[in-house]
Amino acid sequence: MSILTVKNLTKQFGGLVANSNIDMDVEKGSITAVIGPNGAGKTTFFNMVTGVYQPTSGDILLNGESIVGLKPHQVTRKGIARTFQNIRLFGAITVLENVMVGMHTHLHGGLFSTIFNLPHVRKEEKEARKEAYRLLEYVGLESLFNEEAQNLPYGAQRKLEIARALATQPKVLLLDEPAAGMNPKETSELTKLIYNMREELDLTIILIEHDMKLVMEISEHIVVLDHGEKIAEGTPDEIRNNQKVIEAYLGKGAAATAS
Amino acid sequence: MIEQVLHTLPQVLIDGLALGAVYAIVALGYTMVYGILELINFAHGEIFMTGAFVGTAILLTFSGLGWITSMPAIITLVLVLIVTSVLTGLLGMGIERVAYRPLRNAPKLITLITAIGISFLLQDLVRFITELKNGNYILTGPNLFNKQIGIEASSILSVFNDASVKSSFFIVLGVAIVMMITLDFFVNRTKWGMAMRAVAQDRETAALMTVNVNKVIALTFFIGSALGGATGVLFAVQYGTIDPYIGFILGLKAFTAAVLGGIGNIRGAMFGGILIGLLEMFAAANLPIVSHGVLGAEYKDVFAFAILIIVLIFKPEGLFGKVTVEKV
Amino acid sequence: MKNWLSTIQANKRLQAIMIGLYIVVTFLSLYLAQKSVIAFLLLLASLLLLYFTTFSNRIKWLVAGLVMVVLLPFAASQGEAYQSYMEVATLVGIYIAMALGLNIVVGMAGLLDLGFVAFFAIGAYTYGIFATSQANNFMPFGHYPLSGGSFWVFIFIGCLAAALFGILLGIPVLRVKGDYLAIVTLGFGEIIRIIFNNLDKPVNITNGAMGLASVQPPKLFGLDFMYPSQFYYIVLVILLVVIFAVRRLEYSKIGRAWKAVRENEIAAQSMGIHLVRTKLMAFAVGASFSGMMGVVFAAKQTFVDPTSFTLLESITILVMVILGGMGSVPGVILGAALVTILNLQVLTELTNWLNQLSLNGVISIPDALSPAKMQRFIFGAILILFALYRPQGLLPAKNPVFKKEDLTDTSGHPPMNAGVQKEGAQHVHLDS
Repeated sequence: MSILTVKNLTKQFGGLVANSNIDMDVEKGSITAVIGPNGAGKTTFFNMVTGVYQPTSGDILLNGESIVGLKPHQVTRKGIARTFQNIRLFGAITVLENVMVGMHTHLHGGLFSTIFNLPHVRKEEKEARKEAYRLLEYVGLESLFNEEAQNLPYGAQRKLEIARALATQPKVLLLDEPAAGMNPKETSELTKLIYNMREELDLTIILIEHDMKLVMEISEHIVVLDHGEKIAEGTPDEIRNNQKVIEAYLGKGAAATAS
Repeated sequence: MIEQVLHTLPQVLIDGLALGAVYAIVALGYTMVYGILELINFAHGEIFMTGAFVGTAILLTFSGLGWITSMPAIITLVLVLIVTSVLTGLLGMGIERVAYRPLRNAPKLITLITAIGISFLLQDLVRFITELKNGNYILTGPNLFNKQIGIEASSILSVFNDASVKSSFFIVLGVAIVMMITLDFFVNRTKWGMAMRAVAQDRETAALMTVNVNKVIALTFFIGSALGGATGVLFAVQYGTIDPYIGFILGLKAFTAAVLGGIGNIRGAMFGGILIGLLEMFAAANLPIVSHGVLGAEYKDVFAFAILIIVLIFKPEGLFGKVTVEKV
Repeated sequence: MKNWLSTIQANKRLQAIMIGLYIVVTFLSLYLAQKSVIAFLLLLASLLLLYFTTFSNRIKWLVAGLVMVVLLPFAASQGEAYQSYMEVATLVGIYIAMALGLNIVVGMAGLLDLGFVAFFAIGAYTYGIFATSQANNFMPFGHYPLSGGSFWVFIFIGCLAAALFGILLGIPVLRVKGDYLAIVTLGFGEIIRIIFNNLDKPVNITNGAMGLASVQPPKLFGLDFMYPSQFYYIVLVILLVVIFAVRRLEYSKIGRAWKAVRENEIAAQSMGIHLVRTKLMAFAVGASFSGMMGVVFAAKQTFVDPTSFTLLESITILVMVILGGMGSVPGVILGAALVTILNLQVLTELTNWLNQLSLNGVISIPDALSPAKMQRFIFGAILILFALYRPQGLLPAKNPVFKKEDLTDTSGHPPMNAGVQKEGAQHVHLDS
């Protein structure tokens, strides 16, 4: 069953076409990778799915419902969460509070009930704190919960972004280069985490990645973009041997030698 | 009513041009600094004001020494302009070095706060120095170029009233045009000008291309402040009386001009300045008429602020600027 | 020195003795002296010392309450300078509330508002117009001035009016990019002042530059509130409500949303935070504090005119926030107290003292340099020095620190994610 469908999606910035006629079907519960050389338009694609950019044309359907035209915070409420290529944490607040921000859409304290410290708000906050801690345990960051987010080491910051995204209780999780800058040990932990998230939290995962080992190991379906267009799609094996993909990454000469 | 508007039109045009020239050059300072550092240099209005005071002080000293009568006025003015612009240029450079450079990597909020602090500091500094020397913080300069020239606009179209203009008007306009042309030439045709444009586009890459970024930024501040200071002198010559608080409102309007023309765009700033000057004079002359006395002349400031707000809300890139998209 | 400090911190009894002694000494000095500004300020400073002690919050509030409600007024009442002390204290309270409001906008939500005094003006004029005969000029019904009894209702009306205005102001202004927000709010602040200064035609609503005089004093059970010492208690109560509200908001979903917006707007949006609504709420809440105090101010001064609401005022409040610590409630309280006392007491006392010295021929400071006039210079210097060397302020904002025991689930309550989890799933803990 398809949870996310993208039809003919195009994005133009002035004269530059960043994405051109992208078609994609994402199966519920699958792990899909979007790959391509730098500048291929992968993050632009994510940005359109999450409502940061409005497509020039085309449609995006979540569970059959079009989400084009929705603002980012509305897209999140619909059940799509993301992490960022360049880490975007809330640096000056604690790790725990970062995750709690993710819970924003599920908390109900209004202005007056907060000011008057009504019991249901107090209870909600307490439960939210506990839930945030549980999420930190899930990604392995629970020992750092009182630390300021900007003081965390790089790998921990990436994990925190994931925990924060999970806090929004998404149906679809978009990970933008989650393994960037990670060493092999961290990458293998990340691989385990992605599998776990898919299994235990009933998530559909789409990731942009350059780490080919991770991509080949973990994805069930790969979509390849180059110069804004989809040039190939299929299973890891199919993509590995695809002429166009090799050409895109390594140039025409390499494609010739490979075949 | 239209008749009344037309009556005053020639005078409005002349006053508007004079004021607009002042706004235009001050706007240059804002737009150049914003282009290079993405910082609104709040203190720039005060640099203009300092220029006005320094220039007037020098003129008063000259007249005290009896030099004014012995030299042709235009030479005196040029001398004063040169000295003042160098001094204010150095002041601007100094401010950048001491207050803005250390904060180059700090959040924007902090730098804005520093700029506000400098603005206040300068205002009071000038105030008490003037008050010490003069007993009062309002300063009146010696009269240069005071001859009133009549322009018989009524001979063009009978509905126009005759306009009268001080000879200083031509000087102000002339000097302003010379400054604008020189700057335009400098920025577009010289090596350093190109360096300035490069740093404004992409600081890191410019540095990789062996551009000394710190020097370029210092140069930008020097030029912007020197021009601002020189304009201050022109302003003092044109309007005669100055106080330490003229920089604030004028700075705001000049900033409006810079935004209107497209922040970072030098030619846009010049255009914006003239436009705002004309609009303001037009409003001052005609608002009371159009609103039958309800909206007084003080509302001309509201008018300028309103333009600023409307531009920033509906067309923040200004008339000649480009829309920038933030990379996510 | 460090050892000495840590022994004190460890020993609560020692702290209690030291602070108790301090309060007693300053109380007595104030009580016995005819006019001692220093004793007054020192007694106030006991609150700062209290802040640094390690007693529980409840005890700290109790002692603070004792000092502010009983000891300070009582001691001050024995001298001839009673009303002037209370005047200072009242104004400090008013400014603290306003600074707390600006703290929400600038410190928590990261929105640099340079026209903040406009909300104060709204509150003041709201009461001023209806509590003088001014409203007769344009209101089709009712007889004005309203009696002093309406003051209490007007505190709420002023609060709402300012909040509403904050929202109206925010709607256009928040679409503007970060750097420009400061200038736009500055522009609006000036526009409001100019409008109030000119709103005597066509319909006379604010009486323009002449201002509104003879504002009705508040009346409760037949008692007219006319002296600073009486307004002191009104301000104290409102201030307590404000502090309570800010504390609650700071560590709530709303407070976190503000901080998230400040730290990274784009990420905040991805967390489902509605940017405009969150920012508007910051404006509205911040404005409402100023609105309430504006009403009190109008009643206290019995005169309202546009000269109390200039850019200098907005910058003054900003200095309070920067000095104390952006985003920090205790910091801003300290900052507001320091700046107000500086303005009202220190500068004037210093000027008087220097004048005395010149009169006695000891030294001669020219009038131009008199400290009372050097406000802009001092504020400018504070802003620059703090921005360069201590941007976090005197008492920097502190993040909440939780205890692990409070966070681990012992109640058997299912986690919120339960609906999303498949049946019988186990958590897998990763090695970190």
